[in-house]
Amino acid sequence: MTIFLASVGFGLVTASVLAVAAVGFTLQFGVTDVLNLAYGAVMIAGAYLAYVLNQAGLNIWVGLVIAVAACSAGSVLLNSGIYTPFQRRGASPITMVIVSLGMTLIIEFGTQAIAGGTSVSYTMAQGPSVRAGGLVLTTVQLIVIGLSVLVMLGTHVLLRYTRLGKAMRATAANKTLARNCGIRAYRVITLTWAITGALCGLAGVIFAMDAGSFDATSTDLFLILILAATFLGGPGQAYGAMLGAVVIGLATEISAAYITPSYKYVVAFVALLLMLGIRPTGLLGARA
Amino acid sequence: MNSYYIINLLIYAAVDAMACLGLNQQFGVAGVTNFGFIIFQAAGGYTAAILALPDQSANAGFQTYIGGLNLPFPLPWIGAAVVGGVIALPFTFLVGRRLRGDFAAVGLLVTAVLFNLLVTNYRPLLNGAAGLSLIPQPLQGEYNPQSSGYQWTLTAVAVVLCALVYLFVRRITESPYGRSLRAMRDNDIVADSLGKNLLSLRAAMLVTGGAIAGLSGGILVSYITTWSPAAWGYAETVVLFAAVIIGGAGNHLGAILGAILVPVGFEEVTRYIPTSNNLPPNLIPSLEWVAIGLLIVIFLWVRPQGILPERKRVIRAGAAANPPSAAAPPISPVPEPPVPEPAVPVSALRPAGEPPGDREVVLEAVGVSREFGGVQAVDDISFKVRRGTLTGLIGPNGAGKSTLLAMLAGTLSVSGGKIYYQGQDVTHLPAYRRARLGLVRTFQLASEFKRLTVMENLLTAVPDNRGDSFRGALAGRRYWRGDESAAIARAEALLERFGLDGYANSYAGDLSGGQRRLVEIMRALMAEPRVLLLDEPMAGVHPNLARRIGNQLAALCAEGLTVLMVEHELAIMDEFCDPVVAMAEGAVLAEGTMAELRSRSEVVEAYLVG
Repeated sequence: MTIFLASVGFGLVTASVLAVAAVGFTLQFGVTDVLNLAYGAVMIAGAYLAYVLNQAGLNIWVGLVIAVAACSAGSVLLNSGIYTPFQRRGASPITMVIVSLGMTLIIEFGTQAIAGGTSVSYTMAQGPSVRAGGLVLTTVQLIVIGLSVLVMLGTHVLLRYTRLGKAMRATAANKTLARNCGIRAYRVITLTWAITGALCGLAGVIFAMDAGSFDATSTDLFLILILAATFLGGPGQAYGAMLGAVVIGLATEISAAYITPSYKYVVAFVALLLMLGIRPTGLLGARA
Repeated sequence: MNSYYIINLLIYAAVDAMACLGLNQQFGVAGVTNFGFIIFQAAGGYTAAILALPDQSANAGFQTYIGGLNLPFPLPWIGAAVVGGVIALPFTFLVGRRLRGDFAAVGLLVTAVLFNLLVTNYRPLLNGAAGLSLIPQPLQGEYNPQSSGYQWTLTAVAVVLCALVYLFVRRITESPYGRSLRAMRDNDIVADSLGKNLLSLRAAMLVTGGAIAGLSGGILVSYITTWSPAAWGYAETVVLFAAVIIGGAGNHLGAILGAILVPVGFEEVTRYIPTSNNLPPNLIPSLEWVAIGLLIVIFLWVRPQGILPERKRVIRAGAAANPPSAAAPPISPVPEPPVPEPAVPVSALRPAGEPPGDREVVLEAVGVSREFGGVQAVDDISFKVRRGTLTGLIGPNGAGKSTLLAMLAGTLSVSGGKIYYQGQDVTHLPAYRRARLGLVRTFQLASEFKRLTVMENLLTAVPDNRGDSFRGALAGRRYWRGDESAAIARAEALLERFGLDGYANSYAGDLSGGQRRLVEIMRALMAEPRVLLLDEPMAGVHPNLARRIGNQLAALCAEGLTVLMVEHELAIMDEFCDPVVAMAEGAVLAEGTMAELRSRSEVVEAYLVG
């Protein structure tokens, strides 16, 4: 029972990190139509930037804010400098994925070239542990969960109650129609990259906090979890990604407690392949 | 420069070239984007290793693995190719269904990442992260693997096998089957509607590429005698993609060139970078990966066709100089009326004494519906199409005409109702099966195969070409030359009839909009349809040409073809179509001659006026 509860605790933290990452990823894809495989690489670049600032003596939470801003700006640049020119030329979706895979190598191994191949960790206080009904969580873990909940609420408010959010949903549903209705699609897409880039940066830093130590290739496997959560909820569906993140986060950590931890990704992988093969529109999505 | 260096270079070049040929066959020719390609090379490597290695007890606990069959050469290599092909089969469920190509690619990428993780972490299977070593080299009992004669022989065998693989993929690609693969690459939904079984084509490509990758892995481990997860990270697939894109996707010589430039070239260039103790470790390998990424992005931007672009397959006029006499064009020559021509009265083209209403029903929709996310695009439609008629389908935008056509052809599934074709229930038959039965459609949007010539576009649609199967392609040109010549003769007759004979060897993607519509109609006719479903064939076509098309269609109907045509140009409907079905808001409003429809107020209100 204690193993189970402990794994639920881990699962909640993983789900929290995953929810931030997956909501960013799925919105990015839904609104901009780019299946950006470089998302994991941008995450780790943000995490590493926070590490460099942290090493320079800055508090990690300040580093987090700067990393979020940098990933946001970097994602906007990635789009306007690379993806949009290709899309304007009429590149096929498959070409876009190959381009994003190329960008993955550039960003991921560019980070590695600077960072070196060794694992690094943040210097930070974990804070006192908190016990609640058998669950034991550190203060940092609680903060991570809290941040994630805030981001989810923020996403809900954005999509539901703001003009920008409505424009994003409209653009995701039908870009041409949205443009004809007076929505400035390019502006909406740029803002989407800024917002999802910020989520990506936040996810990167809290992923690194949760993992303890990380290197430039750490998100290769985490990308599987992001994709699994995204496809479980249906690509482009923000609420679906939240649900997917909770399911995948808990499932991987609970399975890790009972099988060997190194196989915890198998659960996510099987879920992803099943969704791709049987219901690519997601559990909440419409029938194909 | 010693001979060891050259041997090493040649073997790596042969192995990489082989892998690139397999990948190019999948990606460049057939448009199957397999981001997990490296899995199959890895599987071949492991298979060759555990078939050649003695039982694990012989290693005294040094390494653990399954198998250990100690099989003699060349069984490990054969096993490598077989396993590489067989493990590709399960992935058919990703690429074969109507899953977006980019989603399938992501699924394969993730599979590659995960398999590497599993093999790394599970030691009993294939010795985990450390990998297998001391793998016996071919015939090492009989010969001394260290001798230069042995090494050169192994090199020669690898190069010869690479050449054989090249001949093999070229034979497939340059056959009618290869043309179908390229058509699928350019537009899979259209290929489906012309009778191509996408599932079987893609499965064949996965297995072929997998077997080639497996063989390349088997040869590699026989040379380097070790194989571990570090050798086949997911990113290695990206290197092969870079090679194929840079060399020229779709061109097998380009794939070989790419293999020499990218994987081999990188290995060689970094050899000459002076190592310095001041550099951080990992810097050079990291920068190599960055360079691979940059190469992909830059090439896709600057020269997406690669250094050696796919070459154009020119078919000279008269290539079918001696077509078998039986292969006369199925469309008997109709005297070509001058343009502009007087309208041929519809009645004059009809077999005498048989009004259209009495003829046999060839296509029937019974209560057909289609819903899109709560919107009823087609609502409980029933109607009949009779043999030899040129039936028109009119209605305002959004009436559901194209949706109905797509359901009749099988491109879209029905939400409810039945479709009968020649008395047979085809409601759940996939589009390619309906096309093979003679129920062929065209598309509203231009749907030519862009990187095929006009002639190739036409030839793709021909059913029953002996060379249009994997086996037929392997049997070679002599086996299918007869069918091909007959098809070329038919295509030439058709091109002449529609006045496009000067464009036979132009890429279809380079034609004007009106010419592309013609290509599409001709291509559909090449499929030997009994019922032709045309979705706005005259949109964007010059009125003179439109009437010429109309005359041709009317003539074909007089010969027994049945046409159901969606069209907005009412003059065309007046002139050629009888009966005409009017649709609005997903339902049939009325049916009759155009003159009758004009007298019906509800039709006039729904469509003719506003």
